[in-house]
Amino acid sequence: MKQALWLLVVLFMLGGLAACNPEPAATQPPATQPAAAEPVATQPAPAATAVPPQRKVATFAWTQEPDTLNPYYTNMWFSAILHQFYNCWAWEYDDENVTFPRLVTEIPSVDNGGVSEDGLVITMNLRDDIVWSDGTPITAADFIFTYQMVVDPANTVASVYPYDYVASVEGIGDRTVVMTFSEPFSPWESTLWHGLLPKHVLEPVFQSKGSIDEAPWNLAPTVGCGPLDFVKWESGSYVQFVRNPNYWLGASRLDEVFVQIVPDDASQTAALIAGDADLGTFPPLSDVPRLQAAGLEILTINSGYAEGWFFDYRETALPGALDLKVRQAVAMAIDREAINRDLLQGLSVPANTLWDALEGAGYVSPDIVPWTYNPEGAKQLLEEAGWTDTDGDGIREDAAGNKLVLRHGTTTREIRQDVQAVAQQMLRQVGIDLQISNYESGYFFSSYTDGSPCALGELDIMEWSDTTGSFPDPDHYYWLCSELPDEESPWGANYFGCDEVLDELFQRQIVTIDPDERAAIVREITQYIHDQVYWYGIWVDPDYWVVGKRLTGYQFSGITPFYGILEWDIQ
Amino acid sequence: MSRYIIRRLLQAIPLLIIVSVLLFALMRATGDPLATLGGRRQVRSADRERLSRLLGLDKPIGLQYLYWLVGNDWTTIDTDGDGEGDTPGQLSGVLRGDFGTSLVSRGRPAMGIILERIPNTLILMIPAEIIVIAFSLAVGVYSALRQYSLSDQVITAFSFVGYSLPIFFVALVSMTLFAVKFRQWGWPYLPTVGMFDPQVGKTTSQVLQHMVLPILSMTIITIAGYSRFVRSSMLEVIHQDYIRTARAKGLGERTVIYLHALKNASLPLVTIVGLDIPFLLGGAIVTESIFGWPGMGRLFLDHVTRADTPVVMGILMIISVAVVLSQLVTDMVYALLDPRIRYT
Amino acid sequence: MGVAGPNAVVDVTGQNQYQTLSWRRIVWRRFRRHRMAMAGAILLILMILYTLGGTLFFTEADANFNDTTKMLQPPSLEHPFGTDTVGRDILARTIYGGQISLMIGLSAVIVETVVGVLVGALAGYYGGWIDSLLMRFTEAMFTVPQLFLLLVMARFFSGKVPELQLLGRTFSGSVVVIVGIIGLTSWMYLARIVRADFLSLKEREFIHAAHVIGTPNLAVIVRHILPNTMAPIIVSATLSVASAILSEAYISFLGLGVQPPTATWGNMLDRAYNYVESAPWMWVFPGSLIVLTVLGINFLGDGLRDALDPTTVD
Repeated sequence: MKQALWLLVVLFMLGGLAACNPEPAATQPPATQPAAAEPVATQPAPAATAVPPQRKVATFAWTQEPDTLNPYYTNMWFSAILHQFYNCWAWEYDDENVTFPRLVTEIPSVDNGGVSEDGLVITMNLRDDIVWSDGTPITAADFIFTYQMVVDPANTVASVYPYDYVASVEGIGDRTVVMTFSEPFSPWESTLWHGLLPKHVLEPVFQSKGSIDEAPWNLAPTVGCGPLDFVKWESGSYVQFVRNPNYWLGASRLDEVFVQIVPDDASQTAALIAGDADLGTFPPLSDVPRLQAAGLEILTINSGYAEGWFFDYRETALPGALDLKVRQAVAMAIDREAINRDLLQGLSVPANTLWDALEGAGYVSPDIVPWTYNPEGAKQLLEEAGWTDTDGDGIREDAAGNKLVLRHGTTTREIRQDVQAVAQQMLRQVGIDLQISNYESGYFFSSYTDGSPCALGELDIMEWSDTTGSFPDPDHYYWLCSELPDEESPWGANYFGCDEVLDELFQRQIVTIDPDERAAIVREITQYIHDQVYWYGIWVDPDYWVVGKRLTGYQFSGITPFYGILEWDIQ
Repeated sequence: MSRYIIRRLLQAIPLLIIVSVLLFALMRATGDPLATLGGRRQVRSADRERLSRLLGLDKPIGLQYLYWLVGNDWTTIDTDGDGEGDTPGQLSGVLRGDFGTSLVSRGRPAMGIILERIPNTLILMIPAEIIVIAFSLAVGVYSALRQYSLSDQVITAFSFVGYSLPIFFVALVSMTLFAVKFRQWGWPYLPTVGMFDPQVGKTTSQVLQHMVLPILSMTIITIAGYSRFVRSSMLEVIHQDYIRTARAKGLGERTVIYLHALKNASLPLVTIVGLDIPFLLGGAIVTESIFGWPGMGRLFLDHVTRADTPVVMGILMIISVAVVLSQLVTDMVYALLDPRIRYT
Repeated sequence: MGVAGPNAVVDVTGQNQYQTLSWRRIVWRRFRRHRMAMAGAILLILMILYTLGGTLFFTEADANFNDTTKMLQPPSLEHPFGTDTVGRDILARTIYGGQISLMIGLSAVIVETVVGVLVGALAGYYGGWIDSLLMRFTEAMFTVPQLFLLLVMARFFSGKVPELQLLGRTFSGSVVVIVGIIGLTSWMYLARIVRADFLSLKEREFIHAAHVIGTPNLAVIVRHILPNTMAPIIVSATLSVASAILSEAYISFLGLGVQPPTATWGNMLDRAYNYVESAPWMWVFPGSLIVLTVLGINFLGDGLRDALDPTTVD
């Protein structure tokens, strides 16, 4: 019996191996699924009608499965980056993170008359040739419908920001859209029209159901406005796209793209090296040398994110965190170069401000002198501030005998735990006791009433990766006094404190329409946060892409990564 | 016996209600579906307030449970935030077969999402369980018959190495070896991830190829435990009188061992298998994640991290029902294996 | 000869004092003569010596001292077991991590075994409503994912548990909570197994005989039935040590229990996730220590079972 079983296993394995070898990969047409299985009748894949000798099929590995494909119902990065496949933004961003028009003839500005002098009225002129993938023209009515759907309380969209600032959206004929604000709103360009809803598909649903929450289009957006058409979403496995024959800018070079869900990053590495996937995201840093050795390219694309320490300076913070000199000493006692060089394999560099990625746009004060590693200077600062080690245990005390303790908390990501361990040792060398703890992220970011340690002020330093309020716009809401969490408003995002100076600057920049004037305010903000050490950057946290050997013609943006998917090709 | 079965089924009703209350309370206490909505940062407070109201998450937990159980179509929801209900609710409740719609894949019925994944998971888990049982029996009986021989010691050592390793380790090593290295060496290889190659489609041969590595990994780490139970139970009965009697009667040794000893040694194994069966429905979280298998384990993980109450509760209630039934069946099997067992 | 067992029917008629003494002596003698059991015991003692004796050579600060310029170094004279992702010495970490892992592994298993045997024995022996109640409770416990309990406990206990002093080290008191959680969420398998054995054994002739001569229930359970169910209990306990050591890492990852940078064998193994191929020394050493510990316990358990076996003719 034992031998029989062994034989069985050997056969089983050989059978699997043998069956694998003569794989007729990519020669078959895409399986056109029975339309009955789809919530919406799938339009027949155009490619299925004529099979060219060599179909160009690319497979992209995603480590998270998109939640929904309706652009206004998701917050997920892995969903949002797909919008350039099958949907369209009014304007998108290129590899320099600079806007270019997609649906409009030009991006509205004060100079071209698209933005009124007072900043309250924005006028967009639509291109003449834009059409939905089913051939229906895209008109002003689609924009108005999109606006109405987002602000309608019956629809549980992920966010109504910034449409709740918009007083009205109106059309002048088919090709002109006019938006009116009740007060000036400077971040409009980076926040509006991230996707368009097809009125002719969704309006009937809205009229019959009173909401588009359950519209089949949300999960099967067969009518789109991108270079690729959605075909099928096999839950847990893949999302399939084929070329959109009606795209107004021409035909994509790729015939077909499969976005395959590979939830584990270590197996993503295996799939990329084996050639089972042509594109991957955020590889484990430890796998980078292996991936490069296998001939894959690692690209880092600036997406505005930076890993940093947010200091809490509310009353609940420990005395050390409230002392500016201590915060400055912390900034000087951490060897960020070493962290980047060793823990991040030299793939990143220290961040100086949360606005680093916008330096080119003039939003970062040129007078900022980055903190450099200087433990002796840190000790000196602490002495000056009256923190000395009187009892000889290596930790400093103030005059009242309070130990110089700071509580550092972050999520359970491993690289963060490593940083904590390294930072704890570095700070101990200058006499600061860093007490570290980790939280599951759902709890870390829960609310004041649900016991979030950040909201409750149980931590003096909080570490995570973040960007500006709506990158690449410099606006931010974290430090607003109105965002302080308490019993009444448990979801406030200000875990740090109310600084009147900072609050006034943030409130002023958002209503300043003149770009130069606004940039000056933002520079003042960056200088202030740097000097006060309210935020201390550990590393710039770009998007990582792993590109397989077959892909050509690729370009990535940090905001709309697949803005150029039309030009992507495979050898 | 039939009275016993009926009694057990009646007991299941209050049990399932209590379990659902417990699970619902734990579910709502462990996560906030609106904290990040799957994004990289917190959701703006205005959106959190609005969604909380629209999705009914601002209601007291008792009321949320009630809505889940019996629906909210008899009451109204406050959509505009003026504190007054204005729109009738849409849920008809679990008791009427409506598990609600997912908070992640907004608008999809929770049960639809779950039922779509169950076949995928069973395709993987049932063969794995069968292989594990067959192997454990073979290995366990073999080691018991040769207790403390060299082969027994080697088997013991190997099974504990397998058991002491985390499954991710076995899974990643086997993937690197059979899918990556074999391919680089030009040998016949296995695919890395997924249930089938999307370019080829869900064909039988595709699914079979993709099954090999996950099943291999699960088998390696599970066999140790099972075979130890088989071995120890076999040792218990092998020395007993009736086995000696059976041998004396001249029955072939193999028949003796397999028919008599195994039957009497199988209570622990039946217990474990009986407890495993309902969890076959739940899939294997780590294995499915590493091998990108679209099963229930991953579904559970994806939705529990987003605190998607309708889907997670759906999965857990299916498993709960399966636990209740499988335990009843297990108790029946006990009586079958050992006629002396009686239930009162 | 044994007190309880199918072929011990004639012996159950009294002579308790003398029988018990000689029984203990017999068990001890059998155990001592059991080569594998002694090997197992020695292996376990070595493990304990390793984690305790190692502290003479390394301080806890050594185990947590990091030097990022020396990260991920393979074994060398300076670092015999190599270094981890921030350049900590893996040898020192296995020593200090071992203390926690052994402590958690062994105590969680004791909790689990006590609860499992208790529930299983009572349910199986008494049957009726006691069985219904206990088994429905067991089923309820089964359906609650451990993950939920852990997340809730992590919130409930985070930062609210006093620290404890043990072996000259300071631990977060939530280590005790971890032991409780692992123990209290893993006893159900054992309870079902023990119950099944009890259901079967309580109908045997020797138990009926014990009842006939008026042996009290407790004595029947402890002296007559339990020794016959030792085999699966020991297997279950052995296997659970490994699971407990591994699940500690997973639980601590959720923010409860042993927090970084404190090492445990489990979290060291977990951190090797992305280094399975590139830095094998990260998993080889903690992994081997876990395997050796479990093997030691297994051999010890085998010996114990053989020694306790009432059906073995000495």
